[in-house]
Amino acid sequence: MLSRGAAKKVTIYVNEDTRHHMDALWDAILRFLRHKHVAGATVLRPVAGFGVHELIHSPDQEIRSEHMPMRIEFIDTAEKVDELLPSLYDMVVDGLIEVQDTNVVKAVEKGRKPAPHSPHAEISGAAKLIRIYLGEADKLNDEPLFEAIVKRLMMMEVAGATVYRGILGYGAKRHTHREGRFHLSRDRPIMISVVDQPSRVDEIVDAIAPMMQDGLIVLSDVEVHRFVHALPEQPALLEQKDTNVSSSAG
Amino acid sequence: MFLRQPAKLLRLHFSEGDQYNGVPLYEALVKKCQALGIAGITVLRGMEGYGESTEIHRARILAHDQPILVTVVESAENIERLMPEIEKMVDTGMIAISNVEMIRIEGRNTRPEVSG
Repeated sequence: MLSRGAAKKVTIYVNEDTRHHMDALWDAILRFLRHKHVAGATVLRPVAGFGVHELIHSPDQEIRSEHMPMRIEFIDTAEKVDELLPSLYDMVVDGLIEVQDTNVVKAVEKGRKPAPHSPHAEISGAAKLIRIYLGEADKLNDEPLFEAIVKRLMMMEVAGATVYRGILGYGAKRHTHREGRFHLSRDRPIMISVVDQPSRVDEIVDAIAPMMQDGLIVLSDVEVHRFVHALPEQPALLEQKDTNVSSSAG
Repeated sequence: MFLRQPAKLLRLHFSEGDQYNGVPLYEALVKKCQALGIAGITVLRGMEGYGESTEIHRARILAHDQPILVTVVESAENIERLMPEIEKMVDTGMIAISNVEMIRIEGRNTRPEVSG
C-alpha cells in the first residue's frame, strides 16, 4: 500500500479498440499493472474525446462506439513508476502517456491493520506537551475551532490530542467564559492538550497558531514513559483473512 | 515562526465544594485574577479524584464534589504577585508551578474583510 507523501501519477490515454496481441490494449495495461503489484489502477471511459487524428470519438459519432477513448490512471512511488515506464512506453502504440508529481494525503484500506507509522511507532523519554487555550464559541469557517484543530492534528498524524472543556475562565478576549444554568452555555473555555516528540513541536505550532484568532499556546517539557501507537489485537478471523490476502497478492 | 516567551504555569487542585467567603473557591479565584490583571485563567472540572483527605471526590446526586483544576499561565513576575493572594485563599489542596514557554495569540483577525 502507498504511504503518505510524494508520489507519481501516471495517466494513459488509449483507444478502446487498440489491440495488444490478442487483447484490448487497455485491458492488457491493467493486467500488466496488477502483475507488477501497482498500488491501484483505475480505467475510466470518458464521454467523448479526440486525439492526434482530430476525429471526435463519442457515442453519437460512432454507432457501435467501439473507437471510444479510454483513460487508465494509477499512482505509485517514483521508483515504481520509473520501473514500469519503459514497458508502458513499449505497449502504447497509439495514445499518450503522462506522468505528474502528486502528493498522497491519505491511503487507507478498510479492515487492514495499518503498518506502524514511522513518526511515532513508539516513543519514550523526552517529549513536549502542548496546551492550547481557546473558547468553545471560537469558529473557523463556521466550524467549532477545537474540532478544526483536532482534525488538523489527526491529518498531521500527531500522536494524540485531548479536548477538555472548562467550567469557568477568561483570557485574551477579556470576557468570562462560564457554564450557564443547566449546562446549556456554549461558550465555555476549552483546553486541548497534545503530546508529541520535541522535533514536531514547531510544525504543530505553525499549523495551529494561524487557525486561532486569539488564545494561548503553552509548551512544556514532559517525560513520556510508555507510548505505543498500536491498534488493539485483531480477532483471529481477521488476522487470517489478512494473511490470505497478502499471500495471494504475493 | 511565532514568538515564544518563557512563562510559568500555575496549577491548583482542590475540590468543587471548597468555598471562600461564601462563594465557590474557583469563582473567587477567577475574580481575584481579574482584579489583579492576570492575563487569563481556566477552571476545569475533573470526573473523579482524591487528595489529602483520601476521600474520593465524585459527582453525587445533589452535592457537587468533583475535583477542580485551575490553570494560570503568566510571566514569572505576575505569578509571584499572584501567589501570596492565592495562598491566603486556598487552605486545602495542591499548588504546582512549572516552567513553560508560551505563545500568545491576541486579537489577530485572519479572516479577509467582507467587501460590499
